[in-house]
Amino acid sequence: MEDAIYKTLPSAEAKELNIQVLVMEFLGDDAVLLSCPQGPKESEAFVSAFLKRCLPGLREEVIQERLNRKAVILEHSIKQKKKQKRKRRKGLSAKEKRQLRLFEIKPEQQRYDLFLPLHNLWKQYIRDLCNGLRADTQPQMIQTKLLKADLHGAFVTVKKSKCPTYVGLSGIILQETKHIFKIITKDDKLKAVPKCNTVFSVEVDGFISYIYGSRFQLRSSERSAKKFKMKGSIDL
Amino acid sequence: MTAHVKDKDAFQRLNFLYQAAHCVLAQNPENVGLARFYCHTQKTISKRLVLRQDPSVKRTICKRCCSLLLPGITATIRQRRHYGQRRTVVRCLSCGLTKRFLNNPNYKLWAEQLEALLENQPKSAQSPNVQQTQQKEKKNVKSDTK
Ligand SMILES: [Zn+2]
Repeated sequence: MEDAIYKTLPSAEAKELNIQVLVMEFLGDDAVLLSCPQGPKESEAFVSAFLKRCLPGLREEVIQERLNRKAVILEHSIKQKKKQKRKRRKGLSAKEKRQLRLFEIKPEQQRYDLFLPLHNLWKQYIRDLCNGLRADTQPQMIQTKLLKADLHGAFVTVKKSKCPTYVGLSGIILQETKHIFKIITKDDKLKAVPKCNTVFSVEVDGFISYIYGSRFQLRSSERSAKKFKMKGSIDL
Repeated sequence: MTAHVKDKDAFQRLNFLYQAAHCVLAQNPENVGLARFYCHTQKTISKRLVLRQDPSVKRTICKRCCSLLLPGITATIRQRRHYGQRRTVVRCLSCGLTKRFLNNPNYKLWAEQLEALLENQPKSAQSPNVQQTQQKEKKNVKSDTK
């Protein structure tokens, strides 16, 4: 638009009329159609009159002040800040969890002696749970407590199993999933023993209790909320 | 004699799991996976039985990947400035999630405030409490007779 005006006017005049052009630019297309006066004084008067007409709410002094000081920026392009879409979700999806392999134990860390403190901690925990194990405590009470207790860190032996290779295996439970106990044996091997069709024995301070794996097929976190039925036949 | 606590076994179990996670990490700092597994079970148990965990416990477990946040091993702790406020930023090293805590010495958690104690409840709210305490007393009597 500016170029169009410059072309119609001589270049010297155009320089003097710079302010006027700015005003026109500012107000839009209609302003261009106004007649252009010649000479600096005339143009100044024209601008002030024009502004007075256009801005009836403001006094003359204010308009003058604005003309002197206020910078009008032409061709102002608004930089739109691209807001990065924030992820609302804080947690991980099940797929991501599987890909990250969150709960895996690496082969270098599968050493039996590293988990002995865990076993000691577990013993303390069981003693605390049963209010101190003494010779006269009822085995029934220990069993009901063990049913809801945590088994991570317990030393177990496989007593019976449908698969004969598992029988006699003993070690510390490291992980308990829905269908599997992950057991580390004394010769530093991590074994996954299925709960189904297997009987485990747990030994705490001389008390031995048996766990029927077929009845234990739950996630370890679900077990503390579940109510076990006392009756029912158990068969391997 | 200590007061009767509901779900005492479950609380003991949560305590054990939290300690076990610490124990595993103390033995072998590389074994993040197992500690994470214990914290994960702890979290699911407390969710399932609707048991509140103490803020000090919750602040040391990553919300996204459930790993135990120990500064220097599984997390970094930095002091940062943000809009003129100083804050402690804890960043989980395995998944990169950050926790931010404002450094405000006057800040008090709800559990630390005096109002949170049952004795200091305002009088308007006391009437249901009285009934509850009576019920609790009855329960205690029952358990004593057992
Ligand atoms: Zn994390």
